Amino acid sequence: MSLFYALYYPCDKVRDFAYDYLEGKLGLLTGFRFKRHLRGCEECQEYIKLYRMAADPSKFTFENPLPSEFLDHTLQFLKERGVVGDG
Amino acid sequence: METKPLQGGERSDPFAEVNAPEFLARLLAGGRESQRTFGWLVKVTHDRFLAFARRSLSSLEESREVVQEMYLAVHKGLPKFEGKSKLTTWMYSLLHHKICDCIAEKERSREEMVESHEAQLSTETNVDSWQPLTAWDAPADRVLVRASLETKISEAVSALPVAAREVYHLRDVEGLSGDEAAEALGLSSANVRVQLHRARRLIVEHVQESLRSDVIPGKATR
Repeated sequence: MSLFYALYYPCDKVRDFAYDYLEGKLGLLTGFRFKRHLRGCEECQEYIKLYRMAADPSKFTFENPLPSEFLDHTLQFLKERGVVGDG
Repeated sequence: METKPLQGGERSDPFAEVNAPEFLARLLAGGRESQRTFGWLVKVTHDRFLAFARRSLSSLEESREVVQEMYLAVHKGLPKFEGKSKLTTWMYSLLHHKICDCIAEKERSREEMVESHEAQLSTETNVDSWQPLTAWDAPADRVLVRASLETKISEAVSALPVAAREVYHLRDVEGLSGDEAAEALGLSSANVRVQLHRARRLIVEHVQESLRSDVIPGKATR
């Protein structure tokens, strides 16, 4: 392993570690290399920012609201089969 | 929503309440109590399971049907449910199997239709009468285009392969643990981790590509 590789990860390697980075599971040396690369690479900074957004979709709505009549239809379906009662 | 079947329901997450041992006991009590409790179970879980099914199936109608079938399977299987996993995890597992059955059935139907059309085309010279083999019933949200990052991520999620999409939905959207998602989908925990990373990576790449095409229309490259 070259000294360069020992100190600097290439972009692909950094992106492979995105999952572990978010989980807080990077080891000491790996974390050092990871963050060292990130500080000097705007593309990977952007990548990690998007990766973090993808991993936390709770802040935005994905779909149009589900039709409320679908629940009623399902309840009626189950009522006809004796699974649920009236009301 | 109607009165909750459990007294003192301080739990804010309905899923937490249905996963409580006393809730399972009420489901298994029999008679009207069971019916009433099952009705409440459906009311508080329906939309989340429907959202999960909707991610895997293009049609909202099909999604509703598999969810209904899942509830029937839950009702039938409850006496044998041993409570080794959370009730909702088991329900996700049943729904996953119903979705797989539905996709397999659609594939079979599509193949039969293709064979039928090919046989028909071989005997007909007028190919102008050809009709698409499948109905275009994409949800309306696919048609609406908003140039926001959230929309691009949403589009990226829709474009994920089914396996990665299911894992992504259970882990990142529903917040299941890796072990719970693995149990629901019949995967190993390691596979769930791989699929989740794959899903997020594909989402990021999709969004980046979409952003590039916004800057240089028609120049999106992979």
